[in-house]
Amino acid sequence: MSRLTYLFKRVLMTIPVIWLGTTITWAAIYMGPIDPASRLLSQGQTRNPAAYEAAQTQLGLDQQPLEHYLDWMTSLVTFDLGQTWLLYEGSNVNSLILDFLPRTLLLGFWSVVIAILIGVPLGFYAGLHSNTMSDYFASFGGIVWRAMPNFWLAIMLLAVLSISPQVFGFQLNWETLFIEIDSISGSPDMSRIWTVDGFLEATKKVLPAAVVLGSASMGNEMRIGRTAMLEVRNEKYIDFARAKGVSDRALVWKHIFRNALIPLIPIITSEAFLLIGGSVLVETVFGINGVGWLFYQAAIQGDLPLVGTLMYIFILITVGINLAQDMLYTIIDPRVGLEGS
Amino acid sequence: MSRPAPTDRRATRGDEPLLSVRDLRTVFYTDKETIHAVDGISFDIYPGETVGLVGESGSGKSVTARSILGLVDEPGAIENGEIRFKNTELVKEGWDDRRGEIAIIFQDPSNALNPVYTIGNQIREALNIHQGLTGAAARERAIELLEAVGIPDAPRRVDEYPHQFSGGMAQRAVIAISLACDPDLLVCDEPTTALDVTIQAQILDLLTDLQQKEDLAILFITHDMGVIEETADRVNVIYAGEIVESAPTELLFSDPEHPYTTALLESIPGRTPPDEQLPTIEGEVPTPNGPSEACRFAPRCPLAVDECREKVPDTVSVDDRVEHSAACIFAGEEYGNRGEEL
Repeated sequence: MSRLTYLFKRVLMTIPVIWLGTTITWAAIYMGPIDPASRLLSQGQTRNPAAYEAAQTQLGLDQQPLEHYLDWMTSLVTFDLGQTWLLYEGSNVNSLILDFLPRTLLLGFWSVVIAILIGVPLGFYAGLHSNTMSDYFASFGGIVWRAMPNFWLAIMLLAVLSISPQVFGFQLNWETLFIEIDSISGSPDMSRIWTVDGFLEATKKVLPAAVVLGSASMGNEMRIGRTAMLEVRNEKYIDFARAKGVSDRALVWKHIFRNALIPLIPIITSEAFLLIGGSVLVETVFGINGVGWLFYQAAIQGDLPLVGTLMYIFILITVGINLAQDMLYTIIDPRVGLEGS
Repeated sequence: MSRPAPTDRRATRGDEPLLSVRDLRTVFYTDKETIHAVDGISFDIYPGETVGLVGESGSGKSVTARSILGLVDEPGAIENGEIRFKNTELVKEGWDDRRGEIAIIFQDPSNALNPVYTIGNQIREALNIHQGLTGAAARERAIELLEAVGIPDAPRRVDEYPHQFSGGMAQRAVIAISLACDPDLLVCDEPTTALDVTIQAQILDLLTDLQQKEDLAILFITHDMGVIEETADRVNVIYAGEIVESAPTELLFSDPEHPYTTALLESIPGRTPPDEQLPTIEGEVPTPNGPSEACRFAPRCPLAVDECREKVPDTVSVDDRVEHSAACIFAGEEYGNRGEEL
C-alpha cells in the first residue's frame, strides 16, 4: 500500500469518529439537563408558558428530535450554524470563533513549541550524560517543573514579572524588555499578526502563558526523552555501529537520535491536542480572551450552535493531529507497516 | 604418554601475533563490590587463525570480546593489562585509529542492526568510513557484499529494513557489514546461539569460507563445545574470568588437562553411552568479586584438595611445543593417577 492510499484510508476512517463526537455533543445539550430556552428568558418570565414556548420556537427547540438533529448536523458540517443562542447573543458563531480561536492557537502553538524546544533537547542531553551532575540537575528540574500546577505557576509568574523588585531586588521591566508591549497580561493583538512587529508583540504577550501551559509537557518530554536516549544508547546496534568506526557525532545524530524520537512522538502529539482546548485556567489568569473561556461559557449555558461548532473544530484538529502522528510514525520508523492487519 | 601430533598453524606460520592480550582485567564497579568479570587473561591470535573462547554463561566471554573492541562502558573499565593489535597498544592509545579492523558479530542479529535504516544504508556507512566509497559505487559494493554472504536477490534486499530479514539472513547481513569494514580480526560472540541448527551450520560454513577468502583471524566465543570443535584451531577455556586451559583444539578434546575442561567435554550430549545419564557440572560459576585467592573452580571440582582452596594455582605449561597450558595443580600429571584418587 502506498503512503497516499494509506492516508486516504485513514481519512475515511476519521468520518465515524467525527460523526460520533458531534452527535454526542448534540445529544448532551439537546437531551441533557441544561435548558437553553429557560436561560433565554428573563427572571420574571421563566414561569410564563407562552414566553417559554416562544423562546423554544425562537431557538428551534420545538422541532422533533430527529428533525432537529438532521438539520443541526447538516448545518454543522458546512459550518453554517448561524447565530449564537445565548453567549454574545445573536452574534455570528463563525465570526465569534474566528475572533477567539487565533489567540488560543497562538498560545497553544508556542506552548507546544517551547515545550519541545526545551524539553526534548534537555532530556536527550540528560540521557547522553546519564548519572552526572548535569543529568541530576536536569532530571530534578524536570520533576519540579512537571509537579507545579498550572494555576499556581501562572500566578507566580505574573507576580515575578510585575513585582520583580521585591523578588529579585532589581527592576525587571518585562513590558519594555526587547519588544514593547502595553501590559504583562491580556489578549494579544491578532490584527497585525502577519507583520514582523505584530507577530513579535503578540508572541511576547502570550509567552508567559505559553511557558505555564507548556510546563507539564516540557517536564514530560524531558523525562521521556531522557529514558528513550538512555535505552537506545545501550542497544547492541549502537555498540555495533561504534565497532564499525562510526564517529561519536554520527552515532548520536544518526543512530541514537532517530530511534529515541519514536517514543516521543505520541507524547508530543497527545499533548498538542490537550493544549488546544485545555487552557481555560491559564487563559483566565493571564486575561487572554481565548477559545477555552468561550467554550466553557458556551457549554455551561447550553449554547448549542457555539458549543457544537467549537467541538467540531476540536474534533477536526484532534483527528488531524492523530493522522499527522501516524504519518510521522511511518516516516520515522520503517517497522510501522502501512498494511492494515 | 603419547599425544597426537601437533596440528598447530603457529609452527608453520611463524608470524607475529595479530592480537596479543596480556593480563587483561576488566572490572565492573557496583555500590557493594568490584566484579572482576575478566581477571588477568592472556592469549594470542595469529593472522588467519581461529581461536575459540569457551565457557559457561557468566564466565566473562562477552566481556572479553567487548574489552578487545573497546566497548566496555560505565560502570565497567579495563583496569589492567595490554591489548596489542598490529603494534598498537589499544588500552593505552585508544581504539579510534583501529576501528573496523576488529569487527564483531553479536549473538542476536536482530539487535545488532539499527531498525530505522536499510541494510544497504548500514553497509554503505561502513564502506564510506573504511573504503571511502559513496553513491552508486558504494551501493554496488554493498550488493556484492550481500551476495558474498549468500543473500539471494541482493539488489532488492539491499533496500530492505532489518525487520524484513529472517534471523539467519540478518546474521548474514551483519557479517556483510563487518566485511565492509575490511577487518583483519573478526570477533564472533556466540554468532549462532540465537539461530536454529540448520542455519547455524550455514553460518559456520560461511564464516569458514570467508576466513579463507579474506584471510581473517577469528576469535570465536561460544559455550557450545561441538561448535568449537568444528571451527577453532586453538581453544581457550575460560572460567570465572580466568583462562584455565589453552591448547590446540584436537589436543584439548583428546587430552584435557584441567578438570573443568574434562567436565565440559563430558557434558556434551552424544559422548555418553545412550543408557547413561548425561553428566553435568553441579553448581554455578561464582561471581569473581575480588582478586582470586584460591582456585575458583575448586568448589565444583571433583579432584579438589585442600591446596586448591588455599592458593591460586599457577598456569603450568603442559607441552611447550604446542603451547598447551592449564591452571591446575594437577596439570601435567598422568591422568591414570588421578583416576585412582577419585
